[in-house]
Amino acid sequence: MLEVKDLFVEFPTRNGSVKAVDGVSFSIKEGESFGIIGETGSGKSVIGLAILRLLPPTARIRGTILFEGRDVYTMNSREMREMRGRFVSLMPQNPATSLNPVLKNSIQVSEVFEQHGIKRAEGLKKAKDIMSKLLLTDPGRVCDQYPYQLSGGMKQRLLASISLSMHPQLMIADEPTKGLDNESREKTVELFDKIRSEYGSSMLIITHDLDFARDVCDRVAVMYSGRMVEINKAGTIVTSPSHPYAKGLVQALPRNGLVPMDGQSPGRINLPDGCLFYQRCKSRKDVCKKQVPVMKIFEGGRVSCHLY
Amino acid sequence: MLVFMLMNVLPGSTAELMVKHAFVGLEQGVTDEELATISERYNLDDPLYLQFFHWMEDGLLRGDLGTSYVYNRPVAHLLKLRLPATILLAMSSMSIAIVCGVSLGVYSALKENRLTDHLLRFVSLFGVSMPGFWVGLLLILLFSVKLKMIPVTGYGSFENLILPSLALSIHSMTSIMRITRTSMLETLGQDYIRFATAKGLPMRLIITRHALKNAMLPVITVLGFQMGYLLGGSVIIEQVFSWPGIGSLLVNSISARDLPVVQGCIIVIVAMFLLVNFLVDILYTYLDPRIRYG
Amino acid sequence: MLIFFTHILTHVSGTGDLMIRKRLISALNNEHLQKAVERKDMLIAMIMLALLILVALASPVLSPYDPNAIDLDNKNGNLTSAHLLGTDYLGRDMLSRILCGATTSLSISAGVVTLSLIVGISLGCIAGYYGGFVDEVISRAIDLFLAFPSIIFALAMMGALGPSILNLMLSLAMVHWASYARLMRGQVLSVKEQEYVLSTRLLGASDRRIMRKHIIPNSIAPIIVLATIDLGHVILSVAALSFLGLGLPMDIPEWGAMLSAGKGFMRTAPLQTIFPGLAITLVVVIFSILGDGMRDILDPHEQGDDLY
Repeated sequence: MLEVKDLFVEFPTRNGSVKAVDGVSFSIKEGESFGIIGETGSGKSVIGLAILRLLPPTARIRGTILFEGRDVYTMNSREMREMRGRFVSLMPQNPATSLNPVLKNSIQVSEVFEQHGIKRAEGLKKAKDIMSKLLLTDPGRVCDQYPYQLSGGMKQRLLASISLSMHPQLMIADEPTKGLDNESREKTVELFDKIRSEYGSSMLIITHDLDFARDVCDRVAVMYSGRMVEINKAGTIVTSPSHPYAKGLVQALPRNGLVPMDGQSPGRINLPDGCLFYQRCKSRKDVCKKQVPVMKIFEGGRVSCHLY
Repeated sequence: MLVFMLMNVLPGSTAELMVKHAFVGLEQGVTDEELATISERYNLDDPLYLQFFHWMEDGLLRGDLGTSYVYNRPVAHLLKLRLPATILLAMSSMSIAIVCGVSLGVYSALKENRLTDHLLRFVSLFGVSMPGFWVGLLLILLFSVKLKMIPVTGYGSFENLILPSLALSIHSMTSIMRITRTSMLETLGQDYIRFATAKGLPMRLIITRHALKNAMLPVITVLGFQMGYLLGGSVIIEQVFSWPGIGSLLVNSISARDLPVVQGCIIVIVAMFLLVNFLVDILYTYLDPRIRYG
Repeated sequence: MLIFFTHILTHVSGTGDLMIRKRLISALNNEHLQKAVERKDMLIAMIMLALLILVALASPVLSPYDPNAIDLDNKNGNLTSAHLLGTDYLGRDMLSRILCGATTSLSISAGVVTLSLIVGISLGCIAGYYGGFVDEVISRAIDLFLAFPSIIFALAMMGALGPSILNLMLSLAMVHWASYARLMRGQVLSVKEQEYVLSTRLLGASDRRIMRKHIIPNSIAPIIVLATIDLGHVILSVAALSFLGLGLPMDIPEWGAMLSAGKGFMRTAPLQTIFPGLAITLVVVIFSILGDGMRDILDPHEQGDDLY
């Protein structure tokens, strides 16, 4: 349903070009829940925004993104407006800043419907329906209020409802658990389970939270420094990861002892040759320094490492 | 409120200074007799604070602002005659400044860093730097003298109004344009704008519904200050165009040492200024719901 | 003069530009100056400022005629080789008057700004540093002066005091000090909580010493920006007051007064209304560019207060 082929995204800056996404390819099937895991700055959010063409005009994008077989970047503005919100929707990263502070919630909720051809009154009704399904108590009252009057969790559910308004085929959730404490995290897992059971949309879940990804996703891709290094079933990645970086991530989990990895991600402007994880890799070989490893099929998933 | 009271005191005291200077300066040409008569008539022998008190009393309680030295008519009457002219000028200038300033500012923001933007920013730089009266003179030069399209001075028709309002509005317009542009650019970079785009909303709707309200907040903040500038500028523009308003009355009476008129004018100007600021505050609360409830 | 100007401009903006700039940059060690020179508009503005100051200082020497020399045979003349910018209604040479006007404007403006700086910085510092009742009183005064339309106030004062250079400077300083005071107060409030101030206090330094050595130098940057732009604004005020006849005594050549005089002759000698106004505008533009540029250089992250 969604196919991303050789995606490159660069942001030119005064000191050089930052390669946010450096040759990423993956695909998402109907009804599948696909996760992208990575540190802050690994480029994962950029992928989500790129699919909807929401990147700032300074971004340079190469590669192909196919949604239902159509190339997103060849669509005209009318087609894009139709795709956004209706076929592919975004649940943005920061609930606090993604809602317009001076507009009533009802307007922000109903405008998705209005834009795609449904009258406001009917749209509001549908919206309230979704909101209660997503465990937002008293949708009527929420609609009459302004964003600043809602709690963080409520705002998140509101955003989720908005993104589900038109029953999109693909929902992109950008860091849904960022900054949330454990209890809220649990609620979010609940929320996503609800979404899957009620609506069956495919999901692209971008997160840094390994456990969350394991709980909510079918397959997961691990990103490092703009490249995907491993793609496999969610459970497999967390229990028996193949790529050294993925191994490091799992080891760093609190329940595994919070073992940190040495070093830092490379600066993104002048990338070294070869594997980007070379500096920090404990199992590195000489070939890793010179050649970028190709992604190969390995044990039910794909890995990009010279060890295999 | 305190500010209001203080403000009322201040112009009065300035005017007091004038009286002293006026009569010290005129000493040569005035005989002792005449001095005595005038002093008696206008209670000038009383100590300053008493004079001031009487004046306040008359003015605030009874609406009697005294009699003009020069015209020998009640000051209030003179003010009433001239007030509409100034209000008309100020309002039309403000309207032009806001409408043009905001539209151009938004336009400039949308075309950020392209030729139009640079051009507009360049123009706005000059607009803020040009002295208002010079603009007025240039406009007169162009439209009245060379093109003979519009009469130079006069009052009463639209033709008479357009040049002075335009001249007065230039400074504010360019100022507003700059602020709008900056504010708009900042607003457009916000997350909620990105989310609105993600919902599939067209750009025009995003601007009018989402961006504009937020972007306008800083502009409203300076509107009060702009009004102050307009009131000040109107004083000069009225001179340039011989516009019969409070401004030119003020200037003329300062030159003529007509104290009661000066005080009256200043009171009126201050009052207008306070009123506008008050209205701006109300407008601000209306636009930003956070202030309303929180 | 004009030819000289244009020659420099074309040379700077031509191919010689890059070489000159590079050489200038390496010659200047100061980091701020370096940044200033990198920007083209700043460079041009600084050159023009230098020329302006030169003109102002040397105008009696540069003027071909005595600016007050009346020559009734030649009144309202056009551009001739004898009178490069024509003559005014009394036959006085416009070029000389404009050059001398530069001296007048710049010196008065410098004086006013200096006065305003002294008063404003002192009061602002005291208010911010001591707080409490002193702060309340000074702040009310600042609000009062700041809010009121400045020209009207200056008008009244000039009317009361009579035209003279000193009175003009006093009146304008009365009007302008408030913005410096407010800015200074804000700066002091934020600086005084900094660690180095607190530690100096613990060491027992006197208040005045703290203010002088620590607080003021660290607060000074935005004030410099303000002062630069204000130099331009003061010139506008001076011109406005002189235009109304309430500024300088009549025998000192001043651009605003020149415009007022030329007003009556627009039909026959329009040039009189063009050149003085042009001079005013250009000078104000120069100071604006300098001020904006300085703001960017001294603190690129600061969001300047729009002072219009």
